[in-house]
Amino acid sequence: MKGRLNASLVSGAVLVGLVVAMALVSFVWTPHDPVLVDAGNKLHGPGDGYLLGADKFGRDTFSQLMVGARTTLYVGIVAVGIAALIGTPLGVIAGMTRWRWLSELVMRANDLVFAFPALLLAVMLGAVYGAGTLTAMIAIGVATVPAFARVARAATMQVMVTDYILAARAAGRRRLPVAFRHVLPNIGSMLIVQASVSFAIAILAEAALSFLGFGTRPPTPSWGRMLQESQELLFSTPRLALWPGLAIALAVLGFNLLGDGLRDYLDPKLRRIRAER
Amino acid sequence: MILYLLKRAAVFVLSAAVAGVLVFSFMAVLPGDPAEVALGVNATPEAVAELRKQFGTDRPAAAQFFDWFGGLATGDFGTSYVTSSPIGEQINDRLGVTAVLVGGGMLVALLIAVPAGTFAAVHHRNPLGVAISAFSQVGIAIPAFLAGILLVFVFAVQAQVLPSGGYVPLAEDPVEWFRGLLLPWLSLGLVQGAVLTRYVRSAVLDVMREDFLRTARAKGRGRMGALWRHGLRNASVPVVTVLGLQLATLLIGAVVVERVFVIPGLGDLLLNAVAGRDLLLVQGVVMVLVLAVLLINFLVDVAYAALDPRLRGAR
Amino acid sequence: MLSVEGLTVRAHAAELVHDVSFRIGPGERVGLIGESGSGKSLTALSLMGLLPEGVTAAGRARLRDRDLVGVPESRLKDLRGRAMSMVFQEPMTALNPLMRVGAQVAEVMTLHGKPRERARARAVELLGRVRLPSPEQVARAYPHQLSGGQRQRVMLAIALANEPELLICDEPTTALDVTVQKQMLDLIAEVAPALLFITHDLAVVASVCERVLVMYGGRVVESGPIREVFTRPRHRYTEGLLAASKLTPRGTRLPTIKGSVPPAGRFPGGCVFRNRCPHADVTCEKVPALTGEGHAHACWHPADRG
Repeated sequence: MKGRLNASLVSGAVLVGLVVAMALVSFVWTPHDPVLVDAGNKLHGPGDGYLLGADKFGRDTFSQLMVGARTTLYVGIVAVGIAALIGTPLGVIAGMTRWRWLSELVMRANDLVFAFPALLLAVMLGAVYGAGTLTAMIAIGVATVPAFARVARAATMQVMVTDYILAARAAGRRRLPVAFRHVLPNIGSMLIVQASVSFAIAILAEAALSFLGFGTRPPTPSWGRMLQESQELLFSTPRLALWPGLAIALAVLGFNLLGDGLRDYLDPKLRRIRAER
Repeated sequence: MILYLLKRAAVFVLSAAVAGVLVFSFMAVLPGDPAEVALGVNATPEAVAELRKQFGTDRPAAAQFFDWFGGLATGDFGTSYVTSSPIGEQINDRLGVTAVLVGGGMLVALLIAVPAGTFAAVHHRNPLGVAISAFSQVGIAIPAFLAGILLVFVFAVQAQVLPSGGYVPLAEDPVEWFRGLLLPWLSLGLVQGAVLTRYVRSAVLDVMREDFLRTARAKGRGRMGALWRHGLRNASVPVVTVLGLQLATLLIGAVVVERVFVIPGLGDLLLNAVAGRDLLLVQGVVMVLVLAVLLINFLVDVAYAALDPRLRGAR
Repeated sequence: MLSVEGLTVRAHAAELVHDVSFRIGPGERVGLIGESGSGKSLTALSLMGLLPEGVTAAGRARLRDRDLVGVPESRLKDLRGRAMSMVFQEPMTALNPLMRVGAQVAEVMTLHGKPRERARARAVELLGRVRLPSPEQVARAYPHQLSGGQRQRVMLAIALANEPELLICDEPTTALDVTVQKQMLDLIAEVAPALLFITHDLAVVASVCERVLVMYGGRVVESGPIREVFTRPRHRYTEGLLAASKLTPRGTRLPTIKGSVPPAGRFPGGCVFRNRCPHADVTCEKVPALTGEGHAHACWHPADRG
């Protein structure tokens, strides 16, 4: 049975699609060179070829937003990828193992990593290797590992006590095949939802890091740094803060809605409840 | 119960030790000798060796580590290579400010989330409940520092009723202290409140489907009565987990919000330390923040035991 | 004492229970049997006013002189747990995991006006009455420290606490071990005032009840004294149900009812059983009425005629 499309899923997909489209188009076309410093167009108002105006260096805001979307998606994909690739196997192992100590060890290590938020990791990495997109991605990715491990473990433990797993185990199936054939497909939907939610968090983290100067280095445009640069002009030119702020909020909203919508779409429990009504 | 708490406490101490090793070794990888950096390129090798001895960086890494880590317990974080002032004192001055900032933000968040989340769950089918859910979705999408900028724009730039930044100590002027912290608290609390609202809502929704709520109603309680007496405590178990989980986010938020509002807390100290290449200070502040998160994890475990009898028997 | 007339339960457009009528006299024990999806649980829940959101009941149901259907929640709330009470199927999840068992039993009494101290004392007494060993200790326990059977006894203690006029049990032993089932059934038969006992298990209903209602597709298709219904079933569905439950000699095929219960709202018009009935013909396209004094049935081609 297929789940029904719901409002969250559709609006989330539209917002995410918009960000992706902006990023993709920016590869082949932007209205202006996003990094071109042009003193003549300093704080150029909206219109006249500058859709959303220009900043204090005369750089076109809209072009910067487009390329900024690229940065955001790039950081998000790599960070969530790192987190999912490390976190999921750890969580599944911790959820399936018959050795209590192993499960315990994984979860303790998890708690420990959790005590190092992305910002601290990024600051430490930045202090040692110099801050940049790479350190930001690694920091956000590592900091997101516990979220995946926790979800994977909880979901696995839930799946492990269901009748079909017990049946598969009783039939003498070994653990690894059981994990691949039964556990992963069944926790897959929860992981997809987690990926979407983590993506939203990664966007927030990237923005915060860029805002503080621990993210993407200039001149590569980034929404967080656009905000930081706008802060001193908040009294005179608030629109410079408005657009990147709106971009961050909409992108995060999009991924959160997508996660929510996917949860409803994929979760058989919720589906049954809907069918019952 | 006591066994459970002892075990959690042991985990806390052990985690703190491992975290200490991690932080220390991470910073130790850094290229560059603090003594050379402090004296500049024209220093004589003798002077550098002398300073190295003074800093204690001529000793083996293990000895330095135990010296540093042992000092943590007594609040001695060593002396800055850059400013020559004791790091413990600097951290101590800032810790209170950040604690007040985070605590106030959490309070704002709870004051919003508990009523709003419960309401949204109970009325999940009527427009106001749906509106709260939608509103919390939007709130989640706004990072704390953006909320800060927006609040400054509204209350400081437009309405001009609150300061756009700065910090006045409580002892100096309680009213200004409060006015200065109000926007930072709101920036942290509104966002966290939006996140929490979602979790409170789903926890309450889950609990509303529980059989024991039907039992409570079969005893003669009304919907709200059953939820109030039997539901909220059960719903608080997952919410406490989230409170713990969200703390890291709140700390990040605080660091950034301190920068937005120019508040002299730990975040401000950390960022200044990085900018000034004061590595021992970076190391100290990072350690304090990490310890804070670990301590919260421990307290969440304690709260579990207090809330859920099933865990008290657990090892 | 309990009289139900024309009870109909709807979820949006779908009719889940249709025109159900029956009576239960004081002290009488009545069984309600049927497969899952037959509407038996909804019938019970609508009497308690505990239907899930979006599901509504219409018709008439009275407990002595008090209406149960179509009255405000505030009035029903007052009856629940006092004049009538209910034991549910799943004992593992029916108790609040964070609250001591004694307090959960006492709650139903303080809720209906008994002072706290007396309710506490009586809770221990009740736990003893449902044959829980060392009731003082059980009262201090949390639900997770008890077995499924013990928890179901606690539920029974809660249900009996205010000496209700009517006890409704919805598959109270289905989730229990077979050995525990028997004890539980004996206990229910012993302590119950008037009883409405819901089950899909014919043997269980035979051991507890005096009279039985057979439900299928949201309708009562047959009713009567248990001995008569079970020895001389009239409705073809009851006949099939009994045949399927009997032990058959080795070598013969186990008789079953062909097909399966359709999902709610997908039952055929006319006789709801006709798409699975071997005797169905064109007459069955009309709805058969429930007819007969004492032993009634709703079938155009009843078994065991004459």
